[in-house]
Amino acid sequence: MSEFLEPFERMLTALFPPDRVRAIDGGGEWEHERTEIEQSGFLDAMVPEASGGAGLSLADTSDLWRAVGRNAAPLAIGEAMIERADLDDTGRALLLAAAISGAADRVLAMTVAYAGERSQFGKPIGRQQALQQQLAVMAEDCVAIRMAVELAAASDVPDPLRVGAAKSVASAAAPRVANTAHAVHGAIGISAEYDLQLYTRRLHEWRAALGSETRWNRDLGHALLASHAPVLDWTRSRLFGEA
Amino acid sequence: MFDSLTLAAIPPEDEALRPQVRALAQEAVASLPLEQRARTWMGHDAAFSRKLGAAGLLGLTLPTEYGGGGRGPFARFVVVEELLAAGAPVGAHWIADRQSAPLILNFGTEAQRQFYIPRICRGEALFCIGMSEPGAGSDLAAVRTRAERSTSGWRLSGQKIWTTGAQHADYMIALVRTSGGPEDRHAGLSQVIVDLKLPGITVRPIEDLAGDEHFNEVFFDGVELADDALIGAEGQGWSQVTAELAFERSGPERIYSSLVLLDGWLAHLRKAGRNDDATAALVGGYVARLAALRAMSLACTARLAAGESPVVEASLVKDLGTSFEQELPIAIADDLASHDNPVDPDLMRALTYITRVTPSFSLRGGTREILRGIIARGLGLR
Ligand SMILES: Cc1cc2nc3c(=O)[nH]c(=O)nc-3n(C[C@H](O)[C@H](O)[C@H](O)COP(=O)(O)OP(=O)(O)OC[C@H]3O[C@@H](n4cnc5c(N)ncnc54)[C@H](O)[C@@H]3O)c2cc1C
Repeated sequence: MSEFLEPFERMLTALFPPDRVRAIDGGGEWEHERTEIEQSGFLDAMVPEASGGAGLSLADTSDLWRAVGRNAAPLAIGEAMIERADLDDTGRALLLAAAISGAADRVLAMTVAYAGERSQFGKPIGRQQALQQQLAVMAEDCVAIRMAVELAAASDVPDPLRVGAAKSVASAAAPRVANTAHAVHGAIGISAEYDLQLYTRRLHEWRAALGSETRWNRDLGHALLASHAPVLDWTRSRLFGEA
Repeated sequence: MFDSLTLAAIPPEDEALRPQVRALAQEAVASLPLEQRARTWMGHDAAFSRKLGAAGLLGLTLPTEYGGGGRGPFARFVVVEELLAAGAPVGAHWIADRQSAPLILNFGTEAQRQFYIPRICRGEALFCIGMSEPGAGSDLAAVRTRAERSTSGWRLSGQKIWTTGAQHADYMIALVRTSGGPEDRHAGLSQVIVDLKLPGITVRPIEDLAGDEHFNEVFFDGVELADDALIGAEGQGWSQVTAELAFERSGPERIYSSLVLLDGWLAHLRKAGRNDDATAALVGGYVARLAALRAMSLACTARLAAGESPVVEASLVKDLGTSFEQELPIAIADDLASHDNPVDPDLMRALTYITRVTPSFSLRGGTREILRGIIARGLGLR
């Protein structure tokens, strides 16, 4: 984890409190925030140090992208990093998968916290085994998304198949995470003023952006079927970069 | 959350084991039909296990002074991954290598380590797990089998059930009550190593729904155990068994039980020239999930390598892994039944076998509901 993550996240949290996120979602301008971010230098995260950037690896940068998702900050921040590093749509798909990971983690944290606070039948709803089991599945999904993103971000440059696996896993899990979060929150989660919806709407949007799971699964499947290799060998060499 | 699980690479010196394991595995399965290879860790072949031992591929996580490989969990990961991918029959040594030997190393006396571990590493001492009883499944603390102090050691009475491999095993590590009653729950439980050749033991195989006999009922009728049958501290059985279960749950077998079938299906699709978009998307979805699971399993292996007992993390991987393993044969069956290409009867037999046994994937080693309960506790909900 790079030393940039903490200050970057602090900046996002300060610049994009929920009321600003709502305003921007409603089509509002964010010139002030844009300028601040511009001046912070974070947009040059992946630009080589020799050219005045931070020279961050894809792995460290994807941690920043997860922070974008965790804060429901504009995706344009990550896109600017991609443009300045001359990456293409494969990089953008990884940005989306990482943003889904961050948003899903935030949704999990909100939902677990809510389950501990809200009481019905004289005890916190999180003590109900039915909800505990659903939250456990949500946690599994969140870890799987994060690991798929870490795996894709572990290469030097975004690789279409590795990113495809990450976007597939993230896109497939995103609606499950959103749905469970809403189920656990009850009616309050449906209200506009409650922040959960800022994240769950993004989970659905980012799932579809640049293609949802079926689109990426298709590429993976074609490559695997064409290879004639056993699935473990193919997975190790193509998706893990193992010799 | 669960940030301790993070991407981990296999160290090169452990990765270097792969070609040797692969050669041995390929040799072992060369004449086996797919249906037989699909059994992999339920398959019993003591000679193959001894061969792995002789090649130095068992006990890789154990210190060399006890005949182990002196390596770590990543070395075992590579070996296990290759054996399961090939569908090699690994049931004979499986339990001893995975959990009995580490348990003896962690909790045993020096004499117990010297006595058991070198033979485990040679594939010569086979173990089984004596946890479940008729009245103690998920509620493991309800075990009733008792070991009472006798003049020469312990006297063991009671019954275990679903004991995989007991009919072939040399020893069982049993969770028993050494004091108190079921109402005392976790207190008063201990683990004992039972030599299954002792008088007073009856092992009765139970046929499973696929016609195989792997698990058993085991009866103890006043079995006289020596003093040193106790492993670990008296009364510490519960915490020991919890550590043992972390080993049992965290290995890659939890994602690879259906891998042979996946390869069989891919071979079928390639042969039939089925490379349309819908088929590719179906295949791709499973391989994406497999990649995420393998990354999670490697992350869990790194926790083991760091000397931790990743109970919650292992439960995450096992639950998600068994869901994958259970959905895969259902999808394959739908695919094969909805297309007209002729299917190799061996693939159909493997599919039928896996389809029948898959429900057991989320029972053995702790049920889905129990694992999710452990995860919920990790989330602070219980
Ligand atoms: C192939 C196979 C091999 C096995 N090998 C071994 C072995 O070698 N050694 C050994 O000791 N055991 C072995 N077992 C037994 C296994 O550990 C048990 O099956 C398992 O612990 C569940 O116990 P049970 O079967 O009695 O089911 P039960 O505990 O009766 O459970 C039945 C159902 O009730 C649910 N349930 C129970 N309690 C709760 C709860 N508190 N909350 C929510 N749901 C609950 C369960 O999740 C499950 O869905 C094996 C089992 C299988 C299938």
